[in-house]
Amino acid sequence: MDDRPAAAELLLSTSELVVGHEGVQACAPVTIELPPAAALALIGPNGVGKSTVLHTLVGLLPPLAGEVEFDGEPVDERRSPFRRDVAQVLDDDAFFPSLTAREHLLLTARGHGVVDAETAVDDELAAFGIEDRAGALPTKLSSGQRRRLALAAAFVRPARLMVLDEPERRLDADMRQALAERLATARDDGLAVLFASHDAAFVQTVADQALLLGDEECRLLPPGDAPDALSGMHG
Amino acid sequence: MARPSADRAAELDGPAVRRLTRQSAAQRAVTTLGARIGDAWSTLVSVAIGLGLFGGWLNSVRDAVAGRSPGSGTALPSRVTAVAAGVVALAALTTLLDRLGPVSASPAAAAWWLPLPADRARLLRSELGRVAGTTAVTTALLCAPVAAVWSRPPSFSMVATTVLGGTAAPSGLVGAVALLQTRGHRGVLAPVTGAVAVGAGALAAGLAVAPWAGDALTAVSRHGFPEFGWLTAAIMVVAAAAVLIAADRGLGRLRAGTLRAAGTASAFAAASVFSLDTRDLGRALASAPRTPRTGRRLTLVRRPWQAVTAADLLLLSRSPWQCGQLVLATSVPVLAARTDGLDRLPAATAVGLLVGWLAAAVAVGHPARFAHAAPAIDRLLPLSSGQVVAARSVAPALVLTAVCGLSGLLVGVGSPSLLAWAALAVACVPAWTAAALRGAYRPELDWSGAVLASPMGVLPAGIGATLVQGIDVGVAGTLPLVVVVLTGAEPSPALVGVQFAWASCLAVAALTHLARRRAT
Repeated sequence: MDDRPAAAELLLSTSELVVGHEGVQACAPVTIELPPAAALALIGPNGVGKSTVLHTLVGLLPPLAGEVEFDGEPVDERRSPFRRDVAQVLDDDAFFPSLTAREHLLLTARGHGVVDAETAVDDELAAFGIEDRAGALPTKLSSGQRRRLALAAAFVRPARLMVLDEPERRLDADMRQALAERLATARDDGLAVLFASHDAAFVQTVADQALLLGDEECRLLPPGDAPDALSGMHG
Repeated sequence: MARPSADRAAELDGPAVRRLTRQSAAQRAVTTLGARIGDAWSTLVSVAIGLGLFGGWLNSVRDAVAGRSPGSGTALPSRVTAVAAGVVALAALTTLLDRLGPVSASPAAAAWWLPLPADRARLLRSELGRVAGTTAVTTALLCAPVAAVWSRPPSFSMVATTVLGGTAAPSGLVGAVALLQTRGHRGVLAPVTGAVAVGAGALAAGLAVAPWAGDALTAVSRHGFPEFGWLTAAIMVVAAAAVLIAADRGLGRLRAGTLRAAGTASAFAAASVFSLDTRDLGRALASAPRTPRTGRRLTLVRRPWQAVTAADLLLLSRSPWQCGQLVLATSVPVLAARTDGLDRLPAATAVGLLVGWLAAAVAVGHPARFAHAAPAIDRLLPLSSGQVVAARSVAPALVLTAVCGLSGLLVGVGSPSLLAWAALAVACVPAWTAAALRGAYRPELDWSGAVLASPMGVLPAGIGATLVQGIDVGVAGTLPLVVVVLTGAEPSPALVGVQFAWASCLAVAALTHLARRRAT
């Protein structure tokens, strides 16, 4: 029996998507089918094109070939409904220098029309362990605290799909674990999660599928094989 | 933890997003209203003084031109040179706008504003207005004194229409480039406008030395140029407004990736302006070298120094912007020496020669600036610091010989000692070669050391001595030629010898100093 979700059930889908920069292909063509309440990890060695795939899937880079669909429509990040539904934390480490950590989150929450934005922001500051740094400007935050702030912004607003590029980066072990468990819970509650990662434990906790990217082919791994593939990659 | 819920009606729109950000930042602003008013007042006074000085200088040039008898040879009508200069200026502005957006999102705005559901067109509208407004005001301020001096006696109508046109043209240009950007054509204009600028400069210089062109162009400039009146200015204003409105309507089509890339380039350029590092500004605005269709095998390269020279020549030949700059650099002295009016001022010829050759030295210093930014390049080959400097001076010397020789030859057209002018110009090459390397390898400004208070803010001590490195050797090394130009003497073999010896001595001293500094 074919256990693949029907097209109507898919939130994000693409077939034989070719990604790259300025005409230079980054990795083998990618096929992704991600329904709600599912998490897919992109794994592969450094430089294979994981970030490029993520940027292309959310419309920040044009594909070299192929098309990405979100909720049955071609992805177009210029459309408000797409931005309303998709939360993303990619490789940005950019902040308004005159806004505090709390104000950054309030901007995101109010921008999305979050009901009781103040409480939502306070909850996320506490969840990411930066409530005591709420009034600090970005220049006064450590690299790890800025990473937590960027991740908190993805949780302070509603979303149907969350796209994260190496979310475990610059986080300590406890926060990694907490984030992984939180993502797994959100996934079980209906959130679709797409992320790139090098962390075997993180992938095992969050993802129910992993896509191994390579120059020759990109193949879907059985759920239990991702940690072994990652271990092999990092010796 | 439960996911937050949202009310779509409560979402912030574009202006509200900007307002919230501005208000949040303003809460901890340390600048008081009084300080802001003071800053605005001192800026206004500084601008007024600057405009007054600029206008006064233009007036004195005009009086000096009027006070001298016309030159003996044919000259290019000043209107033709003005048109060429205008084309080059507009092309440069277009290139700048095309490189930097013109609509862009700073890295922070790209990360925190663009992912919000707010309507993108309304979010970006004030950005388009800011760029158009800044460009218009700057151009208007520059146009006002020029128009005031151009019209004799000063006419309100002339100044007003020129300022109006000078405001409308760049605003329309911003709108046109933004319109192309919204259609996904960012970056396509720069090569075209660059070619137009180079073509305009070269054409004007060519006409300036063509024996048949002078009389014909004088006749055309008397009868063929339409007067710039209120109707023309009004048409320009309406056209600019129409283009800006069209661009505004397309802002929603701009992709986050494009805005982010433009914002990163703008942030880099702004940082290099504030850090007063013109090399970084060049890097921010420059395009990547052209990709060759076929690679060179470099079969003539046998020794390490030849590899450095070959690499420099290859990089220059694959850098279209630097090649274009060299053409314009050759044209500037010719236009300064052979434009009607300016040809009566020897100082204009001298300044034209210095400005043109400085531009050429900056262009040929391109490979050395690359090497300065990536010191590992100079350590790849078994060469001492002095040998690297010597090897890197070969390509600039070859190219500058062509530029200086040609511009000297063209400046001397009509003179009985035509070849002597070319020889005198070539004799300056050692100084400008050293200037190219000294400028490219000059040390970074030290912002961590002692600072000086100035009307422009705090500046690092020794800033002047650092920024003039390169220019100093070039200008000082050209002094004999400048004296010849200012005194109206004809160049002789002895003068050529003096010029070459002087330029060579300065070049050897500067390059030796540079090699020693790089070795430590």
